[in-house]
Amino acid sequence: MKREHEDAGMGSDDPVAMGPETAKGKMVPVTRTGDEMECGVDELLAALGYKVRASDMADVAQKLEQLEVAMSSDDASHLPQIASDTVHYDPSDLYAWLDSMLSELNAPPCTQLPPPIAAASRGNKPSAAAAPPRASALHDFKPVVSPTAASVGRVVCDTDPQSEKILSPRDPKRMRTCSSSSSSSSAKEATSSLKLATAALPVVVVDTQETGIRLVHALLASAEAVQQENFKAADALLKQISVLAASQSGPMRKVAGYFAEALARRIYRHSPLPQADRVALNHLHSHFYESAPYLKFAHFTANQAILEAFTSFRQVHVIDFGLKQGMQWPALLQALALRPGGPPSFRLTGIGPPQPDNSDELQEVGWKLSMLAESIGIDFHFRGFVASSLADLEPQMLLEPEGKRGDRDGVEEAVAVNSVMELHQLLARPGAVEKVLGTVRALRPRIVTVVEEEANHNGRTFVERFTEALHYYSSMFDSLENGGDTEADGDLEEQQQHRAMADAYLGRQICNVVASEGTDRTERHETLGRWRGRMAQAGFEPVHLGSNAFKQASMLLALYAGGDGFRVEEADGCLTLGWHTRPLIATSAWRAAAAAAL
Amino acid sequence: MLPEEEEEEGNGKTRFFSINDNVDLLAEILGRLDGRSLAVAACVCSLWSAVSRRESVWEAVCLRHASYGNGAAAAATVTSTRSVVAALGGYRRLYRLCIGPALDRLAAGGGGRVPPEASSARHLSLSLSLSLFSIDCYERLGVGVGVGVGVGVGAAAAAAGGRQQKPASLLFLSKPVDVS
Repeated sequence: MKREHEDAGMGSDDPVAMGPETAKGKMVPVTRTGDEMECGVDELLAALGYKVRASDMADVAQKLEQLEVAMSSDDASHLPQIASDTVHYDPSDLYAWLDSMLSELNAPPCTQLPPPIAAASRGNKPSAAAAPPRASALHDFKPVVSPTAASVGRVVCDTDPQSEKILSPRDPKRMRTCSSSSSSSSAKEATSSLKLATAALPVVVVDTQETGIRLVHALLASAEAVQQENFKAADALLKQISVLAASQSGPMRKVAGYFAEALARRIYRHSPLPQADRVALNHLHSHFYESAPYLKFAHFTANQAILEAFTSFRQVHVIDFGLKQGMQWPALLQALALRPGGPPSFRLTGIGPPQPDNSDELQEVGWKLSMLAESIGIDFHFRGFVASSLADLEPQMLLEPEGKRGDRDGVEEAVAVNSVMELHQLLARPGAVEKVLGTVRALRPRIVTVVEEEANHNGRTFVERFTEALHYYSSMFDSLENGGDTEADGDLEEQQQHRAMADAYLGRQICNVVASEGTDRTERHETLGRWRGRMAQAGFEPVHLGSNAFKQASMLLALYAGGDGFRVEEADGCLTLGWHTRPLIATSAWRAAAAAAL
Repeated sequence: MLPEEEEEEGNGKTRFFSINDNVDLLAEILGRLDGRSLAVAACVCSLWSAVSRRESVWEAVCLRHASYGNGAAAAATVTSTRSVVAALGGYRRLYRLCIGPALDRLAAGGGGRVPPEASSARHLSLSLSLSLFSIDCYERLGVGVGVGVGVGVGAAAAAAGGRQQKPASLLFLSKPVDVS
């Protein structure tokens, strides 16, 4: 379902013409006072209590017909399509209202003319219920009062006593809400209450441009068609999508492009993107690192947790599940060098995938880090491990046998395990993640830092994954576009190059989520809640990331121009970084439960 | 910043006191400036340019953004910081790449979320700057420019560097005006 939001009028001194929302009628904002109605309302319907603008009659009639077909066929999956042109208002009390509306969805739809409007409004509300608005991935949205609210409520009640009870008490609330709070605050309240409310179908919030809505609608419809294996329809929709996407600009266009490409791959069963090009992948990864604060946030918060866990240890060992370019460790090395009491002896074990061209990237990274460590006076040791999957690791490989550390026997070594966006790839194979967590536990680490994308891209059905991914990557692209603007002109081209690479990096992820299946689909992101459950099951207990980490992260974000959009939030001891109200990446820290502090 | 002149009474002869005769005093004074003014001061004459390039001057400028407290522990921290920063590229570079832009950005952002006046915020901003600085230094290692390492190792690193990338982790801080 999509929602179209129009500005409800800039100020309360500007009574904008209103009309009621008819089934799928035009959306028009409601006056603050609600008293003034525009003339030009159809008199006949007005006698019944429905206020429809004369100019909208044909449109209304057509949409009523559509709705009738949909409702009578009793196929709930059509509702999203029809709801595409619907306009909804989000009063801050939406949760309770929708809850009651949802219970009515089971009531059989009527087929007479006036009742369909009631049914439609009932139908709308479940759609609305099922569609928690997200703060716009792409655009600010301002709530517009559903005209049903202000004016038509009592009318609808005539035919349907049930909705009467519900709607009339809602009316005054909506009127009040309409006039009182500012658009964005009520929208955000609605957002948060709805996010609590339902975990049902999400909605994509777009701006008032119709092509934008159509584009999203087409993408979702195409995904549904793919799920139903109706490839011809999906293909037709894809053509539509590419046309519509060309008319968009900025992040929406990119997102649509990537998703369309991924859908095409899925439909035509193109071979999946070659996994072998690790060098390019690392290249893309480092550009992504530079163009957006997500990875820096992840590294800084994880480092802070590791630093705190390492206080007073003279010997420390960090195991990094995905070393890549090793960008996380210079900062930790520097912080350890400057900690009160002097730096410890530092050992780093980096794990990476096998390289196709036999270049030993891990060793290079280790070398660079050791040069840095030497220059700042830290006793540094490095070991690289090549493993195509983390599940191949055994604890004894990672732990140094006692005899080797001759001169340091007896000194306790603190172990930290760090995993930045690596664990979700294990979910592709059953049992892998449990094995890895068991391995981690066997290492008896002092702290385990886990950074994962905050998204649910591992749902059971394709449509579920697709819609979730659409939201997530829309937010992500939007943040890349708007969150990093600097005034540097000399570096503009470089910035653009970075951004292009970062886009490509995300594009590959999108392709993987949408087009791959089975063990190929490695981008199985899961939400923080589920990771918490897994870690708890594996015998870990959470460690709260302190306020220092929070402050550092906030300060880091403040340094990004346009950092207003980014939000660092704390959730039960874990830190999340998000774009506007949508968290996109989450850092959490763990230690072995029921183990005495080692 | 004009040379101070003092007249000495007595003999009727005037004696001039030129700040340029006392470079240490000059360094002390310059160390109390902010970055931009210090850069401007460096344009006055070659002596001032030389003095303002001293690490101690820039150290004072940078450390003004950290509150280490008092006492022996503080002194020790300063010493260790000095060696680390020297290894990473020096205070002047630290200011130019990290602290300066960070302060500008925070000021431009209307103080952002953390008021720059708070001393704890300043301390954090120094540690954050140091973290970013270390990342930048690390990236430069990859480009083949060794930091405080012998020529042989530097060359080997360049050879092993493979695909060369301009260090760019601090691009997000970059501004058109370069303080140096």
